[in-house]
Amino acid sequence: MLEVYTWEPNANSGKPLFCLKEKQVPFVFHYIDMGKREHFSPAFLKINRDGTIPAVVHDDLVMTESTPIMEYIDDAFDGPALRPADPWWRWRMRQVMRYMDNQVAPALAMLASNRLATPQFQGADPAELKRELEKIPLPERRAAWEKLMFNKTPPADLAESARRVAAAIRHFDGLLGETPWLAGPDFSLADINVFATFYGLPTNQPEQVNAQTTPHLWDWLRCCHARTGLQQAFQLGKGYIGQRAAEARKLLGVAEAVA
Amino acid sequence: MTALFHGGPDGYSAAVLIALAEKGLAFENHQVDLAAFAQHDPAFLAINPAGQLPVLRDGDRTLTEAFFILLYLDERYPEPPLGGADPKARYAVQKWGKYVETHIAPNLAIVDWDQRGRTPDAAQQARLAALTPERQALWTQALNGFSAEDVQTAKAALAKAADRIAEDLARQDWLAGAGWSLADIIVFPHAARFASLGLTVPAAVADWLARVAQRPAVQQAIGRGDHAPAVATMGPERGRWG
Repeated sequence: MLEVYTWEPNANSGKPLFCLKEKQVPFVFHYIDMGKREHFSPAFLKINRDGTIPAVVHDDLVMTESTPIMEYIDDAFDGPALRPADPWWRWRMRQVMRYMDNQVAPALAMLASNRLATPQFQGADPAELKRELEKIPLPERRAAWEKLMFNKTPPADLAESARRVAAAIRHFDGLLGETPWLAGPDFSLADINVFATFYGLPTNQPEQVNAQTTPHLWDWLRCCHARTGLQQAFQLGKGYIGQRAAEARKLLGVAEAVA
Repeated sequence: MTALFHGGPDGYSAAVLIALAEKGLAFENHQVDLAAFAQHDPAFLAINPAGQLPVLRDGDRTLTEAFFILLYLDERYPEPPLGGADPKARYAVQKWGKYVETHIAPNLAIVDWDQRGRTPDAAQQARLAALTPERQALWTQALNGFSAEDVQTAKAALAKAADRIAEDLARQDWLAGAGWSLADIIVFPHAARFASLGLTVPAAVADWLARVAQRPAVQQAIGRGDHAPAVATMGPERGRWG
């Protein structure tokens, strides 16, 4: 029995969904509504006491680290291989994922959540927000949510995140000028990891990501968006993420592969 | 030809030294003098622009990031196998590699620096300008001194890490299950430092540390492994957003 507890096909939350659909592995999907902060609910905390998504439960094994979960899915299930056979390209795949996980995705998350989530907390009762914060188990997560709720993210941090995102866009465009995929000749977990956060950049960051400025990244986004498995994963969404992906496909001129 | 650039038998460098000993691989030994901040010399930055150790050279390939070097060594030189016997064990290996990188190594460096950090001389400080912006920002923060709150947060994270190590050891002899693996190799050199920094560890962790230290490859690679490294240095960056 394979169960996935997560939110939308987006960023860390989306990693297992994209991998499982690419490999065509059946699973039970439990939607955790992050907008309602269901990942801090007592029911979810019984599955993952840290209150982070995704959580993937395979028989008696509970997994809560999204990138190790990606490696596990490729390791444990049949279907097309999502890791290069050559140890050197595997090393490169992991480097790309580490850079994404540690530097780029958190920077994008900081920018996006300050843009989208912070306005929702304006005018809320501070005592109520404090009670919500108390429900968050991890101190580092609590600190980030506190900045969001009380609009306290330092401007210098936002500027540094914007710098990192811009640098990453240039870096990945360069890598994709050398090889068709981020870890060499074949599609891999590195592509899924980056795509899970970058899929909407054509519409979200049109000044930075477009056919002229970042031609290699643009072609790569078209190739990723055209994949049946990745499109199927977007269909699992219940919120605005599926719509965002459809808008990106339209802008990129990618056909709908899934009815 | 295999060559290893390392900072001595501690932390991430120790993990790779242990793996090379386990695999019985001969290598060219380049110890970089951390006391002289030689990891920031132009010659070393040409090898790794982040100015971090260890770095493995395998033929014309240059590999950084200790945990990924361990996985590479195990995949390229499969005997004896250290990556975990089945998918469940291999997940545990990946989980601990990630945990060291995000929760243990950055916080260990902060606590160590707070107790033993040394100011580089003017020439060494000038070289920080050649680092990547992320590494430069971290070193600037270290030289300005971490706040009491930063240090307290780091200590709390390490205490929690010790508890999580103990939890896994309550179920099994080694961190990835019944067999000694890369999970033990990546966690050990970091956890071995906890006591010297004034952090008490649960009995199960102390017992495991003693068992690891007795392994022949560990003793061959790093001696007893219970000494403090020559100097404090900066680890990976702590997460900026949760």
